[in-house]
Amino acid sequence: MRTPSYLVSMLCLIPAALYAQAPPDFSGVYYPINPFGANALGRGAPPAAAKGKQQGPPPRPTQSAPLADGSQGRSPDAPSLTPQYMAKWEMIRKSRIAGSSDYDNTAKCLPPGMPAMMSMAYGMEVMQTKDKITFFSELNDALRRVYLDGRKPTQKILDDPTYAGYSTGHWEGDTLVVDTVALHENSFIEGFTPHSDAMTVKERIRFQSPGLLEDRITVTDPKALTKPWDTVKTYRKATSGNDELREFACPEGLADAK
Amino acid sequence: MRTPLIAIAATLGAAFFQTTPALAHHSNVAFEVTKVVTITGVVKAFEWRNPHTWVILTIDDGKGAKVDWAVEGRAPGVLLRAGWTKNSLQPGEMITVDMSPAKDGSKTGLVARVTKADGTILANAGPAQQ
Repeated sequence: MRTPSYLVSMLCLIPAALYAQAPPDFSGVYYPINPFGANALGRGAPPAAAKGKQQGPPPRPTQSAPLADGSQGRSPDAPSLTPQYMAKWEMIRKSRIAGSSDYDNTAKCLPPGMPAMMSMAYGMEVMQTKDKITFFSELNDALRRVYLDGRKPTQKILDDPTYAGYSTGHWEGDTLVVDTVALHENSFIEGFTPHSDAMTVKERIRFQSPGLLEDRITVTDPKALTKPWDTVKTYRKATSGNDELREFACPEGLADAK
Repeated sequence: MRTPLIAIAATLGAAFFQTTPALAHHSNVAFEVTKVVTITGVVKAFEWRNPHTWVILTIDDGKGAKVDWAVEGRAPGVLLRAGWTKNSLQPGEMITVDMSPAKDGSKTGLVARVTKADGTILANAGPAQQ
């Protein structure tokens, strides 16, 4: 018996439709690709695979951490600030070079805020359901939620800005497109680059390749930036045995803080 | 023989001024991170806590006296992935610390790495984070 052609067409469409409806699953623990500068962390023993090639003891570290107090000036890739916000950056820079932690939110156990938190220096855990994706940062136990169910920020939300802001997203093929609004100005874009309460963040998140997640971030701020700023963060999915983040509980150490 | 009062006062004074530096929570900007100096001493305490760990180290000051240094390390979560544990350093053991000195000249520093007496190196990051 000959199969009707309309039935063949329908059967062919079913797998395509299923594929189109199934977004990738980002769930899992990730670590950022080279979050710190080379040799910045005083690495001792090299990876096991390289041990055979090594001669003598590992080199003595030349740094304890990346230089981030502003004493090297401003990177050409840094966000382009308006004069008012550049003056604010200069003021913070002077304070940091003098050794003050006054403008370091994370040293006060405050959340890193968006978009800085997407650096995920200590690791990230992604929890994904059909209607919501949650991004957790081990550094300062910070959390953000991205709503995928079609809801939009209400005026009440816009009037109540936060560190993480309010994020809504949708899928465009294999890419998650996220808009973040309702961000107050008590956080930094990256490093100690300030921003205004008019800042919004757009992200396009996708797998570059299996296990390699990419977040293309565009920051817009008509008050603080002369033009939108783009950056890309990449994260590698953790391997078995290295896929658990630890509690950060920052205030644990604040009891002795002076 | 009676101990002169002035000797007692001097001893108390020394004890007062030689207490361990306060374990304030610093940002990295408090340290000269591109400078690394080395100190060797005996572990007095190893504080395994967030947001930063602390190594309290007693060293000879070169003038016949002992002084305590408080050296700030990375968070437990970071150090766990670099191969440390809560019990990596025990009170009484001799260690060498490569550290960045504080900008304010206090007896504090930021750990670059720790080397144990048997040569074991405890670094700030492991291969998994490279």
